[in-house]
Amino acid sequence: MENDQQPEIRKVPFARMIMDDFMLLLFLGVTIYAIFYLLWGIMELSNLPGIPEEIKETLNK
Amino acid sequence: MFRTCDITGFKVDLRSEKLIRYNAVFAVISLLLAVIAAILLVFTRYQPVHLLGAEWYYRLVTFHGLNALIFWIIFFEIAGLYFGSTVVLNTRFCAPRLGWVAFGLMVAGLVMSNIIILMGKADVMLTSYTPLKAHPLYYLGVILFAVGALLGVILFFGNLMIARREKAYGETMPLFTYGLMTAAIIAVITLASGALIYIPTFLWSLGLIDNIDPAMYKLIWWGLGHSSQQINVAAMVSIWYLVSFLSVGGTSINERVSRSAFVLYILFICLASAHHLLTDPGVSSAWKVWNTSYAMYLAVLASMIHAFAVPSSFESAQRRWGYNKGLFQWLSKAPWGNPAFSSIILAIIGFGFIGGTTGVIFGMEQTNIIVHNTIAIPGHFKGTVVIGTTLTFMGITYYLIPLIFRRKIVGFKWAKWQPWLFFIGIALLSVSMIVLGQLGVPRRHWDSTFSGGPFTYNFNPAVDFFWALMMLGGTLAFLSTIIWILIVVISVFFGPKLKGPADMQLSISPLAPEVKAHKGFEAPGTLVLTLLFLLVFLALFFLNWKWLAATWNVN
Repeated sequence: MENDQQPEIRKVPFARMIMDDFMLLLFLGVTIYAIFYLLWGIMELSNLPGIPEEIKETLNK
Repeated sequence: MFRTCDITGFKVDLRSEKLIRYNAVFAVISLLLAVIAAILLVFTRYQPVHLLGAEWYYRLVTFHGLNALIFWIIFFEIAGLYFGSTVVLNTRFCAPRLGWVAFGLMVAGLVMSNIIILMGKADVMLTSYTPLKAHPLYYLGVILFAVGALLGVILFFGNLMIARREKAYGETMPLFTYGLMTAAIIAVITLASGALIYIPTFLWSLGLIDNIDPAMYKLIWWGLGHSSQQINVAAMVSIWYLVSFLSVGGTSINERVSRSAFVLYILFICLASAHHLLTDPGVSSAWKVWNTSYAMYLAVLASMIHAFAVPSSFESAQRRWGYNKGLFQWLSKAPWGNPAFSSIILAIIGFGFIGGTTGVIFGMEQTNIIVHNTIAIPGHFKGTVVIGTTLTFMGITYYLIPLIFRRKIVGFKWAKWQPWLFFIGIALLSVSMIVLGQLGVPRRHWDSTFSGGPFTYNFNPAVDFFWALMMLGGTLAFLSTIIWILIVVISVFFGPKLKGPADMQLSISPLAPEVKAHKGFEAPGTLVLTLLFLLVFLALFFLNWKWLAATWNVN
């Protein structure tokens, strides 16, 4: 009888737990975007070689 | 603090309702400003009229872009976020005073930026690529608006937390609110990118920073520019599900799959900002391929899921109401007299067939080169943001007038055909622009005949026909938007008050009956329509590749 009164513990599937956690989704969304679009892009642009001096001089003429 | 809606039974927080109303009103004001600029631009680009001078053309391109793509859309979305997180969840607004702070910041941003643009101190277009420099108050206006919007998004999450703590919803939040949550997460990404680029640009305009690298600016700016349109996609799809529920009692035939599609949006859709850097030499092909494909088309898969799930929710419900005959009785017997319903169906068709197909094709590195920087690109935007998002927002407003503003819709007969007129207008405008772009007409160009220039270019004579068609479409779309604005303004400010459910002009359907055991597909009509869409997409896809091969003969 006592067992009947205990609240039923339902195991929430892992995938649904993730899908319902909006803070986790926020973190994942921001992180994926930041890594693949922003950081990767910034890294590539930052590593571009500078304009050679002779071209710079030609442009400045 | 609360009222109980006598039509929906929702417990409505009056403080939230007021914020929804004010944000929605400013959305409509922004749209009015945007379309006034739009019609002037259409008649300028149409060469026989060539209405405005070069300066005012670029000034109004800036003005139109900011009001249409940022202010109209985000004011409406903030109203939607408050609606979805309080009214739909029967819960209270977490911090109404902060809601007004957010609203005040957004209005201040709108006023400041618009005044500066109209004063001629910010002819930099929406993208404001450096080294083009606007007046510092222009950037400050955009920053204030973005901070206000971000605060609004944070309040949305606050509302969700209250709803979860107070167990305002069952095991999981309703699909509509879930979609809005997706939009809110994308909004955080968008607004953070905006802060990242606009704050240094503002300091640069003040002379406090020497230089903003143009390539870096473009990379980060598009994190704002393109992702802001992905907020629209998520909000728009959420409204599609909502209108299915309201108009025919429809629900997704597999909610878990629909939710998974929203998760794919959260994870991958913002990567598509890279579309705008496809011809930039600074970033590698690997970066371009990965990002422009939305991480190997996972976010496109999400759109395909919604493209099937939304119409099938209508079909499944209609069939359960007894409209079972043949493949399309569910569609012919649909509530076409309900302008919200017709808006949403037309938005789905336009978004899929025009915006979606061109989005994937123009977003590929190879086929993009045919139309890059041509008028086809804004033509594609018209197929997504205007025919998709704007028509959807117009449609749901027909429900908001009675449910939130508690007014009857004035001119309901006009409201019934307004979505059709808008659809025809924008479809003509969008398709004409896309064809013009394919024929080489540049975008953002005051005079594409290059008159008085050192060289001339003879376009294919067909462009004259498509320019005229574009002007016709633009005019129809302008008129139908003005009709919509008049209906909304007159109804909200002067319309008769709604006394009860009997005054409700739009139907609110009960949930469709439980599905009986059936054989075969649950939504065969939608399956056929989806296959038709795929055929059209494949045809356009191969046509563009053929076009590319004809342009560059590779042996």
